[in-house]
Amino acid sequence: MSLEIVDLVKVFGAVRAVDGVSLSVAGGEFFTLLGPSGCGKTTLLRLIAGIYQASNGSVRLNGRDLTAAPMHTRNLAMVFQSFALFPHLSVFDNVAFGLRTRRVPREEIRQRVKEALALVKLDALSERFPAQLSGGQQQRVALARALVVRPDLLLFDEPLSNLDARLRDEMRFEIRDLQRRIGITTVLVTHDIEEAFVMSDRMAVMQAGKIMQIGRADEIYRSPASRFVANFVGPINELALTRVETIDGRRRGIAAGELTVWLPQAGAGAGRGSASLVLRPEALRVAAGDVGTENRFPAEIVDVVYLGGSSECRVKVGNLRLSAVMPSSAAARFRPGEPVSVGWDANDGVMLDAG
Amino acid sequence: MRDSAARAPWLFAAPLLLVMAAGFVWPLLQALINSFHPNTPQGIDAGQWTLGNYARLFDSFYGGVLVRTLRISIMVTAISALLAYPVALFLARLPPRAQSLVILAYVSPWLVNTVVKALGWTLLLRTNGVVNTVLRGLDVIASPLKLMLNEAGVVIALIPGHFIFVLLPLWAAVSGLDPALTWAAGTLGARPSAIFWRVVLPLTLPAFVAGLVINFIMNMTAFAIPMFLGGQRNLVASMLAYQVNLISLDWPLGGALAVMLLALTLILVWAGQRAASFLTAGRGLRP
Repeated sequence: MSLEIVDLVKVFGAVRAVDGVSLSVAGGEFFTLLGPSGCGKTTLLRLIAGIYQASNGSVRLNGRDLTAAPMHTRNLAMVFQSFALFPHLSVFDNVAFGLRTRRVPREEIRQRVKEALALVKLDALSERFPAQLSGGQQQRVALARALVVRPDLLLFDEPLSNLDARLRDEMRFEIRDLQRRIGITTVLVTHDIEEAFVMSDRMAVMQAGKIMQIGRADEIYRSPASRFVANFVGPINELALTRVETIDGRRRGIAAGELTVWLPQAGAGAGRGSASLVLRPEALRVAAGDVGTENRFPAEIVDVVYLGGSSECRVKVGNLRLSAVMPSSAAARFRPGEPVSVGWDANDGVMLDAG
Repeated sequence: MRDSAARAPWLFAAPLLLVMAAGFVWPLLQALINSFHPNTPQGIDAGQWTLGNYARLFDSFYGGVLVRTLRISIMVTAISALLAYPVALFLARLPPRAQSLVILAYVSPWLVNTVVKALGWTLLLRTNGVVNTVLRGLDVIASPLKLMLNEAGVVIALIPGHFIFVLLPLWAAVSGLDPALTWAAGTLGARPSAIFWRVVLPLTLPAFVAGLVINFIMNMTAFAIPMFLGGQRNLVASMLAYQVNLISLDWPLGGALAVMLLALTLILVWAGQRAASFLTAGRGLRP
């Protein structure tokens, strides 16, 4: 079951909440819409579900045009942020809801609800009411209620944000494993980068109703298409670039007005207006002696922040401050004020248009 | 500390409880006791006990008044019940500012004195009133409709005033529903009508029933509107109680009438709540 969205637009008054979105999700794929709040990701999900009617564009599911179809005819299922369990129905009746609307025979309903509850390990609680369940259990009921109807498409709207941190980590893997086992096409909405990275095959990063980049987690993290994406999916060091030139086939420029650096092979900004060099903290190396990377500069430790398994080293290169992340064992020997050298390999940087 | 904490709610409630006991419970008990004594030209004969006052309530005149009171009250509550969900659902979908304006419009009759309001209705509904004049002017009717001094007039005038008691709790319940519940039902294949019957109605039924109960009690005890729009030939219980207690000064019969009215109201309220809890039995609405 593949999902095809073309030029989708949703206008609320003067606001273009979804502004010309096109994307396609392959059958069985776990696709995530990632973005800050207000970026239009939830509106996009609701357009797919049929909760809102699109102002323009089209939604197709396996070739079937759903753009104007009422939501009860779309044969998809959605797990809501609030879980949206029916408080007046038992766990069994909640899960059976979608089967009863489809007029499935009584005996088959009993069988399929039992299977769905077993799938989420809740078979013992079928007579309980939602108010008698913990958050994690309610989440599982919502999942069972969605899966039991064998939908063509499974939609998740921030499904884990109402759970506490430990449970959230567990459910990420559980939902991902379940989705792979069943092989159902899935679209998830989240603002949580880790959640998107753990669960999805591919993701779209959204901003102001538009898709900024689509790709796998590693593509988006390592080759962000814009400063917004680079910034949103993780911490960065950003250095303004001037005087970019090509010498013997290698590109070189002045970073932050003072450092002459070798630049990555690919990337934007070559020969055009202003560009910036983006460095992930873990791309930076810090050493007491020579770091041995292509770009290296004498520096001074400003601060070492212990974060558990890793530590953040803040260093000063002239007037420039950089943040490097490394294993805590490696960071332990540095003291503030200590002279060190800091560096990175040219291809670990990303060049972006400074827009 | 714990003792005074446990007493605190009673202390706060005490002034109201005292007022209620003196102004409501005591007269009601007095009326109950009086209702079992015979009335004589010399006054209440406290030495004798009788069921005669209650027996009189079952004769064709007094019984007829009680049946008419029930008929009007049930009619008004039934029509309000039919109107309640369409109006509440419509209202809940309006923008917030429009919602408060509509609520204000529904509450506004209560800013007017009931007698003035009843007189206002007579201007609208009498033979040469606004309604008949307009309808005849538009050639909708040939001869004027009889819209007052009958039960229809009482029902017409009671519905708009007492509808607010059904609308307010239901509107609060409907707008308090998580919209995700209706979306969840819709994505699971429920048509809009099924969403109403299987999700919206069961979840708002307690508020709906509470509103109908208040509405019914208000109908049973209405005074000014039945007096002006029903007239003496369409007596209802509250008017009868007034005449018996304050004009005939027959307090024992008046007591019996009050006790009977209270009993009838409580029985119908109880039956309505039983019906509602039966409809939602075993569905988790009650803890």
